[in-house]
Amino acid sequence: MNKMSSLGISTVIATVGMVVFLVVGFVAGYYISMGQPSGSSQAFPEDSAWRSASIKLSGSTTVLPIGNGSAIAFMNKYNATTVTVSGGGTGVGYSNILDKQVDIGMASREPKQTEIENAKSKGVALWLYPIALDGVCVVVNPSVANTSFPLNLTLQEIGKIYAGMYTYWDEVKTGLPHQQIFTVVREPGSGTRGTFEEFTMTPWKYNVTTAANTRQSNPEVKTTVENTQYSIGYVGFGFHVSPNLHTVAVAKDNLSQYIIPSTSNIASRTYPMSRYLYFVTGSRSISGSLTARFIDFVLSPEGQQIVESTGFLKLPETP
Amino acid sequence: MGRKNGETLIFVSLGVPTAICLAAFAWIAGSLFTGIGTLNPALLTTSVLQGGYFEMIMGTIYLLLGAAAIAGPIGLFASIYLVEYARPGKITAIIDQSINNLAGVPSIVIGLFGYTFFSKQLGLGVSLAAGWLTLTLMMLPIVIRGSEESLRMVPGAFKEAALALGATKWKAVSSTSVSGAAPGIVTSVILGMARVAGETAAIIAVSCVLITRGLPKSPLEPVMALSYNLFVRIIALGESAQEVFGIALILFAIVTSFAIFGIVLRTYYRRKQPWLR
Amino acid sequence: MKDEPITLLLFICASFSIIILFLMLVFVAREGTLALSQFGPNFLIGQTWDTNANLYGALPLIYGSIMVVAGALAFAIPLGVGTAIFVSEVLPFSVRDIVKSIIELLASVPSVIYGFIGMIMLVPAVAYLFGLNSGATALTASILLSIMSVPTIVGVSGEVISAVPKEYKEAALGLGATKWQTIKHVVLPISKSGILASVMLGLGRAIGETIAVLMVVGNVARIPTPFWNLLAPVYPITSVIAIQMAEAAVGSLEYSALFGLGLVLFIITFLVNTLADVVVKGKVGRREVSAWVGKMARR
Repeated sequence: MNKMSSLGISTVIATVGMVVFLVVGFVAGYYISMGQPSGSSQAFPEDSAWRSASIKLSGSTTVLPIGNGSAIAFMNKYNATTVTVSGGGTGVGYSNILDKQVDIGMASREPKQTEIENAKSKGVALWLYPIALDGVCVVVNPSVANTSFPLNLTLQEIGKIYAGMYTYWDEVKTGLPHQQIFTVVREPGSGTRGTFEEFTMTPWKYNVTTAANTRQSNPEVKTTVENTQYSIGYVGFGFHVSPNLHTVAVAKDNLSQYIIPSTSNIASRTYPMSRYLYFVTGSRSISGSLTARFIDFVLSPEGQQIVESTGFLKLPETP
Repeated sequence: MGRKNGETLIFVSLGVPTAICLAAFAWIAGSLFTGIGTLNPALLTTSVLQGGYFEMIMGTIYLLLGAAAIAGPIGLFASIYLVEYARPGKITAIIDQSINNLAGVPSIVIGLFGYTFFSKQLGLGVSLAAGWLTLTLMMLPIVIRGSEESLRMVPGAFKEAALALGATKWKAVSSTSVSGAAPGIVTSVILGMARVAGETAAIIAVSCVLITRGLPKSPLEPVMALSYNLFVRIIALGESAQEVFGIALILFAIVTSFAIFGIVLRTYYRRKQPWLR
Repeated sequence: MKDEPITLLLFICASFSIIILFLMLVFVAREGTLALSQFGPNFLIGQTWDTNANLYGALPLIYGSIMVVAGALAFAIPLGVGTAIFVSEVLPFSVRDIVKSIIELLASVPSVIYGFIGMIMLVPAVAYLFGLNSGATALTASILLSIMSVPTIVGVSGEVISAVPKEYKEAALGLGATKWQTIKHVVLPISKSGILASVMLGLGRAIGETIAVLMVVGNVARIPTPFWNLLAPVYPITSVIAIQMAEAAVGSLEYSALFGLGLVLFIITFLVNTLADVVVKGKVGRREVSAWVGKMARR
């Protein structure tokens, strides 16, 4: 009997131990995350509320690296603030703002009509803050084209490829290989996809072919096109440069110049598929709040440096 | 003699699948170890805000411990019922079948349910608590079945003796069978934790965020977890293979050490229980 | 009597599984009603899954799941059973535990990692071996899934084979049978149902695996031409839910369609599990199956 009750006791000890561990962990978590507020809070006490506040961001996977990087830098600079970031896609970003679940939504496109209407009916005012410049770049595998035989396409031709109206590369332009086109798309809620389709498909009411291959993010599309012969895909500007990719020069229509995306082309909006990346709020940010300060941070030189380091473009200097 | 040679051939060809399995393991282990260059002990205690992995590791452990704290007692009581109280019949058969069915539900469906029920219906949102409840669903069958097995192995004689001395059924069962099965029960909880540690699909929507400051201060806050972080890093952040494998190695180490600990515990206590021989 | 409240508590805990399963059915179905009522049977047999056009016909997705799982089993069964026989009967005692533990460790690798390794190594390998444009195919997913299911099959089959009483084997050997004849005519027939059970458990594992599969399977919502072409990309149900769930606006038709898919998956696995248990229980016995479920429960 004694032996058995000692075994029973050890079980009880184990369970109690786990609960104690959890409680200690929570308390420790509380104290670890409460750093000493930095800066001049003594000098301007009314300025200090934001220094221990907390905000949430969610949304676009394209903007996610910017959100992640700037959150880390911001939290390290102001060590009692909390900036929580998660992904989900541009669609989720907008719907979370509409449901007031987050303070800032990350978006790689402007709101759709349905989102604008939802906002109106919920009494939410969507404020879009451009935080970076980006270009949606069309890339193909080197088996299709390369620097010696570059590929130029108009927006409508790209649209036709994605609509499945061309199934072989030589239908698009003579001289291209007689091989089936392998189209790579992003998932339906992707802002990058939204922007891409807005330029290449919506004007002509094309629909994306169901034969398209779905990938979940810029890195995945890049890897897929790099490794798949006769493939075509679209990625954000930070992802198009690679020895295993050829970037397509895009023209607005066949009377315009074919433009290769570059920092200056995108900044001057000459490249047809330039776009802004946005932080979206559901009301005008209260000046001095953590939300406003975080957005200011991302717009500051330090924040724009982070934007560049993740492969996107700084906002152009206002003339 | 000719038969013997034919037999050797058969045995050799049976070795091929085994060799393939071992090769697969070597391939995976080798890939994981390419990440070891990016790891150093400091990373384990440094905050993610300084490039470390501390909160992610703690987040995973929080999720596991909480789920165990819920699944443990419920599973234990369920198994006690099944072994000691259940009478053979339709209801018991259905209960039994349900446990097996619950074990078979795909993780993504559990994630969907967790999201719509725990996060939305019960209003827990994206939180540690929602994660606990969702992971409990996955741990429960393992805990129940493991505890069941341990309980059945305790000789009934002890319980009979207690009953003969006048104890109520519950007192008899709890002080004899349960005490005797305790190590096995603890082991099944630990093995359950090992199984859900690497779980990603179920917890994506119900409990995890990519980055935040510090550890959750209450169960209603979201948590950073190794598996979720791995997934986002691969999919959305496009990090290098070595970094990814480094984090994966940490997760693998946690899972394996839980599993080994559980098995060692079971073997150790088996030796202390002579009636199991 | 004094024991009543305790007995009730225990009963409730035991019934938890039933309650949970019931809740799952109700809540998943509830969210799926919008899409299901809008499309009716077309949801299952419609061939077009197009989110932008708000058309939700899940046939290619269901087919994708079936294809990947069938392929996985085709690889996993010979791999798993062969290994189980070899390890339990042919290998000397000393080596046996080590090899078993190594194979068990395969199960501890997080599925994200399986997916990642598959993505960066298996996909290009398949493309190279078969001269394809892209290696993200049903075949790739099947190979990956089979490696993930093997520990389940090896574990349970191995146990079953080891559990064959020594006396039977000694009797056969004593009568002059060779080792292989003993295995073939004594050990295997006795273990048959247990091996079947292990395959069923592995099947359950394969149907539900999400993360690893979605990274290598190609994600194209079309039935391949010809329909048995494993070297084409497909879009299993689990991949669709995982990829589009994060994007769907709560309450939208897309959201509802994904829950509809979840319901379909839930019902399929429920049926497979129940069938498996019924088939196997008859031969092996309830207790053994339950014990294996506990040890080898899936993620």
